[in-house]
Amino acid sequence: MTPRHHPDEATLVSYAAGALSDGMRAVAATHLEVCSHCRSQLAGAERIGGVLLSQRQPTDAGDRFPQLRAEMLARLDATPQVKPVLGGKDDAIARTGDTDLLPRSLRPYFGSSWRALRWRWTAPGVHMIRSSRPTGDNLIMLKIAPGKSMPVHSHGGAELTQILKGAYDDALGHFGPGDMADLDGETEHQPITSPGVPCICVAALDAPLRFPGWFARKLQPLVRL
Amino acid sequence: MTPDTTRSRWSLSPFETARAMSTNDPQPKTAEDWAAEMAAVSSRGDRDSFMRIYDHFFPRVRLYLRGQGSPEAVAEELAQEALLRLWQRAGMFDASRGSLATWLFRIARNLHIDRVRQERYWVSLPEGAEPAEEAADEPFSRSESYADHVDLVRRIERLPATQARLIRMSYFEAKSHSEIAAELGMPLGTVKSGLRRAFLKLQVEVCGGAA
Repeated sequence: MTPRHHPDEATLVSYAAGALSDGMRAVAATHLEVCSHCRSQLAGAERIGGVLLSQRQPTDAGDRFPQLRAEMLARLDATPQVKPVLGGKDDAIARTGDTDLLPRSLRPYFGSSWRALRWRWTAPGVHMIRSSRPTGDNLIMLKIAPGKSMPVHSHGGAELTQILKGAYDDALGHFGPGDMADLDGETEHQPITSPGVPCICVAALDAPLRFPGWFARKLQPLVRL
Repeated sequence: MTPDTTRSRWSLSPFETARAMSTNDPQPKTAEDWAAEMAAVSSRGDRDSFMRIYDHFFPRVRLYLRGQGSPEAVAEELAQEALLRLWQRAGMFDASRGSLATWLFRIARNLHIDRVRQERYWVSLPEGAEPAEEAADEPFSRSESYADHVDLVRRIERLPATQARLIRMSYFEAKSHSEIAAELGMPLGTVKSGLRRAFLKLQVEVCGGAA
């Protein structure tokens, strides 16, 4: 899978900076799992973080520094150095090609099994799951039946959507597995899912606390199908 | 401890490259120097090398973590943890894939996300490296030279004021796009395009390494 639609560079910068909301970080990480192009971009954004870290100039090390230093030396004695292990257990599982496994970045929020997902009917042709974790409360998975036309809508804030299965088309192009739609609040679109298999995606909104009504607003256009 | 400590942390000129190195750093070290110290730490558990890394980076990591919103005591504890992790996992550090500062930045960032935000289950991308077969085709998998570092420092200093501010709020204060938009009274799209432009300006000619 070679994604053709990628997150905005601004999103990768914020991912690198640790500045994305929990849900958006999970969606972005799902894209990074399958996109070497964006992993390269991310490495560049993390280099900026490294330079900024080394450029910061503490005026002095602080009164407690000698004590902390002594504590660290003592902890080294109690802390063995680990030998690098190539290819963790997780990678081994990934290589077996288990098709029931959810992307690694989503497992903390939705479990690890596609088959075990508990879809809830939301509107004709639309099923949804909200993340079970409170910190991921702006994170949802959507399953939309094939050949379905969604109403024109826009989003209150930034929204990140990663396509997991199936596909849809809108004014921005064709979005298939691995592709990401990185929309800000102004974007209006009308996705039409492709025929064949349902389109399954994972989506998150920025700063959920600032949009207390987002969930109702999001459902509104769907319910009016 | 000077009365200026607090103010300088938030001062509007964060990219203080012209400043002298801090007092416990008699000589500036390059990325290559740090890589050599790391090699000594990983190959023979060299404590002197480790403590030179500690003396230089601990105050910086702690300052970074304070900026992320950690209270003093938590910033201190997490900074210790970050440096201890560097000691434990020194064998995973690969100088050909990035500088020590970048590696430590990732460790500190991930510790902050995991611990301070109570997101124990967040699955971070590995700190050490991606699997080797993936790494092979990464255009970035080349040595990050001292010249690259100096070049990036220079590019950061030359950012227009607004873009520098967006970068600073992202990296130093971990503010999301909507938080920045609300704080600066800017449309979300303007925040994103400002960060995008800043990022593109900061990118060195990175893909030339393979030629």
